[in-house]
Amino acid sequence: MNRYVLTIVLGVALAFEVAILVADGPRAAILWNRQGYAPEQPIAFSHRLHAGELQIDCIYCHYGARKSRHAGIPAASVCMNCHRFVTATLGAVRAEDEAAQAAGRSPEPVVSDEIAKIYGSLGLDRRRQPIPGSTARPIPWVKVHRVPDYVSFDHRPHVTAGVACQRCHGAVESMERIRQVAPLNMGWCVNCHRQVNETGVGGRAVNASIDCGVCHY
Amino acid sequence: MVDVSMPDDRSRGEREARLLAEAFGKPEESTSGISRRRFLVASGFTFMGALLFGCSRAPEETAFGYVEQPEGTVAGRTENYATTCAGCPAGCGILARSRDGRPIKLEGNPEHPLSRGGLCAIGQASLLGLYDSHRLDGPRIGGEAADWKEVDALLIGQFETARRGRGRVRYLSGPITSPTKQALIDEFLGGFADGRHVIYDPTHTASVLDAHERTHGRRVAPRVHLDRARDIVAVDADFLGTWGSPVESTASYASRRRADDPESFSRHVHFESRLSVTGSKADRRFVISPTERALVLQHLLVEIERLAGRSLSFRSLPASSVDGGEFQALARELWSHRGEVLVLCGADDLQAQIAANLLNVLLDSYGRTLDLQRPSYQLQGDESRLAETLEEIRRGTVDVVFVDGVNPVFDLPGGEDLRKSFASLGLLVSFAQRMDETASLADVICPDAHFLEAWSDARPVHGLIGFSQPLVRPLGHTRPVIESLDRWLGRGRDSRALLQARWGEGPQWEGWIEAGFAQIDEVAEPAASPRPLRPQPATGAPKDTLALVLYSKVGVPHGGHAYNPWLQELPDPITKAVWGNYACLAPSTAARLGVSNGDVVRVGVESGASIELPVLVQPGQHEMTVAVALGYGSELSRRFAGVGPEWIERRPTVGEDGRVGVNAAGLLGVSAPRRFSGAAVTVHPTGAREELARTQEYSYIDVPARLAPPSGARRPNIREVALGSLVADGEHTEHSGGEHAHASLWPEDHPHDGHHWAMAIDLTICTGCSACVIACQVENNVPVVGKDEIRRNREMHWLRIDRYYAETGTNEVDVAYQPMLCQHCDNAPCETVCPVLATVHSEEGLNQQVYNRCVGTRYCMNNCPYKVRRFNWFEYAHENELENLTLNPDVTVRSRGVMEKCSFCVQRIQEQKYEAKRRGHPLRDGAIRTACEQSCPAQAIVFGDRNDPDSRVAKLLADERHYRVLDELGVKPSVGYLTLVRNRTEKQEAPHHG
Repeated sequence: MNRYVLTIVLGVALAFEVAILVADGPRAAILWNRQGYAPEQPIAFSHRLHAGELQIDCIYCHYGARKSRHAGIPAASVCMNCHRFVTATLGAVRAEDEAAQAAGRSPEPVVSDEIAKIYGSLGLDRRRQPIPGSTARPIPWVKVHRVPDYVSFDHRPHVTAGVACQRCHGAVESMERIRQVAPLNMGWCVNCHRQVNETGVGGRAVNASIDCGVCHY
Repeated sequence: MVDVSMPDDRSRGEREARLLAEAFGKPEESTSGISRRRFLVASGFTFMGALLFGCSRAPEETAFGYVEQPEGTVAGRTENYATTCAGCPAGCGILARSRDGRPIKLEGNPEHPLSRGGLCAIGQASLLGLYDSHRLDGPRIGGEAADWKEVDALLIGQFETARRGRGRVRYLSGPITSPTKQALIDEFLGGFADGRHVIYDPTHTASVLDAHERTHGRRVAPRVHLDRARDIVAVDADFLGTWGSPVESTASYASRRRADDPESFSRHVHFESRLSVTGSKADRRFVISPTERALVLQHLLVEIERLAGRSLSFRSLPASSVDGGEFQALARELWSHRGEVLVLCGADDLQAQIAANLLNVLLDSYGRTLDLQRPSYQLQGDESRLAETLEEIRRGTVDVVFVDGVNPVFDLPGGEDLRKSFASLGLLVSFAQRMDETASLADVICPDAHFLEAWSDARPVHGLIGFSQPLVRPLGHTRPVIESLDRWLGRGRDSRALLQARWGEGPQWEGWIEAGFAQIDEVAEPAASPRPLRPQPATGAPKDTLALVLYSKVGVPHGGHAYNPWLQELPDPITKAVWGNYACLAPSTAARLGVSNGDVVRVGVESGASIELPVLVQPGQHEMTVAVALGYGSELSRRFAGVGPEWIERRPTVGEDGRVGVNAAGLLGVSAPRRFSGAAVTVHPTGAREELARTQEYSYIDVPARLAPPSGARRPNIREVALGSLVADGEHTEHSGGEHAHASLWPEDHPHDGHHWAMAIDLTICTGCSACVIACQVENNVPVVGKDEIRRNREMHWLRIDRYYAETGTNEVDVAYQPMLCQHCDNAPCETVCPVLATVHSEEGLNQQVYNRCVGTRYCMNNCPYKVRRFNWFEYAHENELENLTLNPDVTVRSRGVMEKCSFCVQRIQEQKYEAKRRGHPLRDGAIRTACEQSCPAQAIVFGDRNDPDSRVAKLLADERHYRVLDELGVKPSVGYLTLVRNRTEKQEAPHHG
C-alpha cells in the first residue's frame, strides 16, 4: 500500500515541477542554454527603431565594445543626447499641434510614457525640470546575454577583428525587444573560432585561439 | 533525500537480500527500512525533480548603466591613479588600479623616485583595509554612534574648557610625514597653553636621531643611498625588511647586486643576533649577542682610527665574540673604499649608533652615501618626550590626549596600569580606524579615513612630496584627521582644499596629482659638521644570561596591521610561520633547555612581566638570544575566530583569548627609552604544546637519493657561486648553463612557434621580502584559509618562497630564497595524469587549469614535482559583500573541489594582447607584467616571450647563470632561475642547501 503512496507523492511532485516549467514559458531554459530568452525590460526600448529604422551605429550607445571587455549599457545621459529633443513619436507631436491649432492655443509638450521613464531616472519630470527630493536612479535593465562566471568574454578582440555584432547577438536591428538568438554555449563559441581560422573574418585572416586559457581563467 | 520506512516490504527485502547472499556468497544481513530498489526509485524521482526544478528558471540579472556618463570612463576598463601609500612612513608611490569605480589592486609606481615600481607586502595588503567590514564607520561618543555635528560641538566645547584651564594637551602619534597634517597639528596645539606633539614608532626607537644630535648637533636621520655604497656594514639594521624604507632600500640595494656588472657589485657585511631578511642576504654575516652591538662597532672604530692615524677613542676594549682579525680585515677594506661605504646601525643602543656615526665620519660617508642636508623623515620619534608624557598620563595631569595612528595601550609596556591611566584621562580622543585597545577607552572616536578615500600629502625625504588622491568616496562616515583638526580650528575646509591651500591650484597641481609626486627644490638643510665626542666604551656581553630581542615581522610589523588576514597568513620570510608569534631559540639553546618546535615556554623579564609562547628553533641565531615578534595579540586580531572553513574536524584558529599570538610589548621594559633588545630574560618550559603553523618543512621538492639518476648527479635546487669565481674563470659554467641531455618520455610535438611565455628569477637579488606573495594573492583572488588549515598543509598561495639553509658553522647559516610558482613545464607531468583534460597546454606554453572542467581527482597535484598546485578543499568564505570588493573581476573565484595554481597571470597576458591588437601595434616586451613581477621591489622577476630574441627574458634564459630546478626530470619548466651570487672571494665549494 505504502509503495503506491510513495509513487503517487513523487509523481505529483514531478507533475508540479513540470507545471512550473511550462508556466515559466519564455523564461524557461535547460541548463545554461537561454536561447530565445527575451525578458520584459523596464523601458520598452526598441532596437528595431533605433538600430534598424534610424540606423544608429551600435557603437554609439555601446561604446565600450571597441575598447573594453564590456560593450556597456549606455548611461541615461547618453539617451538624453537625442531625447532631450525627441520626446514622443512624430504622430503624437503632430496630433497635439493640430489639436492646439484647432483650439487656438499654443501646443503643449508631448512626452511619451516610455521616454518619461528616462527623465525619471535622471530625477526629472516630464518638462525635464528637477523633481524636488528626487534623486537620480539608474534604469534596472534585465540582462539578456550572459556567460557563466568562469568564462571571460572580451568584446575588444572580436570588434577589432571585424566580427559583426549580429554574428553573436542576432539581427538586433529587427528586434522590438531584445532576444538571445545564439545559444552562447562553449560548442558554439569554439565552432566559430575554428571556422574563422579557415575562412577569415570579412576576407581577413584571423587567429582565433582555441586554447582553454583564452576564455577560462 | 526521501525518508520512508516500508514495513510491508520488509519480507520482500529480506528475500532479495537472501537471494543476493546466495548468489554472491555474502553473509546474510537483515535489511531494514527501505529496500535498495525502492531507494533507487525514490532517488531517481528526486534527482529528476531537482534537475527540472533547477533548470526551470533562468536567473534574472539586472544590469545598471550610469545615470550621468562620467567623462572618460568605460565600463570594464581598469584605470590607474597615482597616489601615495600610507601603510608605513616610507611614503612609497603607488598606482591604484580602479575598475568601475572601485580600487582593486595597489601597485608600485615605476616613475616614483623612492619605490621605483615596487611595493611591499604591507602596501599591497592595505587595500583590504579599505574594504574592511570591521572598520569604524563613523564617530562615536562614549562608545555610542554619533554624528559629526554632535562630536564637533562636544569637542569644541571641551577644548574651550581645556584652553581656559591648564591647557595641557598631548597629541600622541606615529611618525607623521605629511606637511599639511604636521602644520595643522602644530597650529591646533599652539592654541593651548601647553600643547605637545609626541611621536613614537611602535617598532623602533629613534636612536638614529638621538645619535646625530650628539655627533652632529641636529636631531635628524640621514637619507641612506645604498646605491652609492660599495661596502655596506650593517649592525642590527633590517633595512630590506622592516627598518626605515624597505622598498626604496631594496631597489637601491639590488641595483648594486647585479651579477652582470661585477665591478659595481657591493659587499654587505652584517652583524646581528637573530636572523633577519637583511642578514640573510649578507655576503658575510656575524652572529653577535644583542648586548655587544656597541662593542662590535667600537672595535671597528678603533681599527679605522688606527688606519686613519687618529688618536684612538678607546685604549682597550673588552673582547667581543667576533675575532679581532676580522675587524682588521674589514677595516682595511672599508678604509680603502672610503667615500663609497656605509655603516648602518638599526639598534636602539645609543652608543652603538654613536660609534656608527663616528665610523661614517671617518669613512667620508656623509655627503656621499649618507645625506644629512637632504635628510629622510621616515624615522621619527622621541623617547624622552614619550616617557614624560606617559608619566603625566599616569599621574593624570593632562587634560586632553589625542591618539593618532598608534595604539599606546597595546604598543607600550605598562600593561594594566597603563590601561587604567588612559581610561581615567579627562578627555581621550582617538582617530583610530578600528576599535583597538586605546580606542575602546576613548571618550570620543573620530575615525580617520583610509588613504584611498581622502586627499593627503607626504614628505618622506627632503625635496620629494608624495600626493594621495581619493579613489572612492568614504565608504562610511569617516573623516580625515586633517579635516577634523581644521574644523576644530574653526574653519572646516575639506582635505582637497587644505592641500591646495598649501600647494596651490592650477596646471602644476594637476600635473603633480597625475604623477602622484613632486620633486621640488627645497632649500637644503644646513650642513652639520661632526662635533668632537668621546664615546663611552661598551662592556662585554654577559656570558650566561639569555638576552631578549623584540623584533617586528615583515608581515605584521606592529599591531596596527593585525586586522589584515592577508598579512596574518603571509609566511614569514625566514621562519615560514603564519598566524602568530613564537619564541625563536638557537638550536643549541633549545637543546640545552630540552625544548623543540611547538613546546610552550614562559619568557620573563626582570620587571616580572612574562608571556607564554611556543618555541621555534631558528638556525642562524645567537645562542644566548631569545627573539619574539611584536605586534601580535592585538584586539584587532579578535575577529579571526571564524576564519577558515567550517567542518567537523575544525580546530581553533585563534588563541583562547580569541586573539592571534601574544602581545610581547610588556617585555619592552618600563623605563625610558624602550629597550627592544638586550634585556636579560629567562625561559622556562611549561610542558604545554602549541603546534606552530608553517608553510615549509613539508612537501620537499628535492629528489630523494633513491630516485636520483643512475649517474648520481643530483643537482641542488639552489645554485650558488662566489662572485670571485664567477669573475675569475669559467669554473662556474662547468656546473651550470646549457641544456642537460636527459631521456624524455614526451614527444617533441609542441613547437610553440608564436609566443612562448617564460620567466626568469634572479636569486641574487631576491630578498625573500614576500611582496610577490601578497601581490599574487590580491591579483588572483587567492583565499585565506586560517591557521588550522595551514597546519594541515593546505595553504592556497599560488606563489610561495622556499627558504633554504646551508649550515656553514655553529649557528651560522647561509640562506637562499627561491620563489616557487607553477613552472609551466613544456612537458607538464600534471597534464599527462588528468583524466578529464582539465589541465592542458596552451599554444603559448602556458599550463592552463580549467576550473569548470576539473573534477578534483588531485592526480595532478600528486604528479607535480614542484608541489605548486593547490586544491580547494572547501568553499572558502565569500559571504562578506564589502570585503568581496577586493576580488579581481578578471579572475574566477574558485569553488570547492577544484584544483588551482599560478596561471602566469593569464588575465594580464590576454589584456595586453587585446590592447595591442586594438591599437594595431605588436606586443611590446615588458607590456605584460605579472603581478609578482610588478610588485618586486628588487626587480628580481622578469616575465616575457622567450621566442622574442630581444626580450629581457630571452636574454636572461641565455645567461650563463641560468638554470632550471629539477631539470633532470626532463619536464622543461618555463621558469628559470639565475644562480645566487654572493660577494665572496674564496673559491670555496658553494654550500649545499637543504
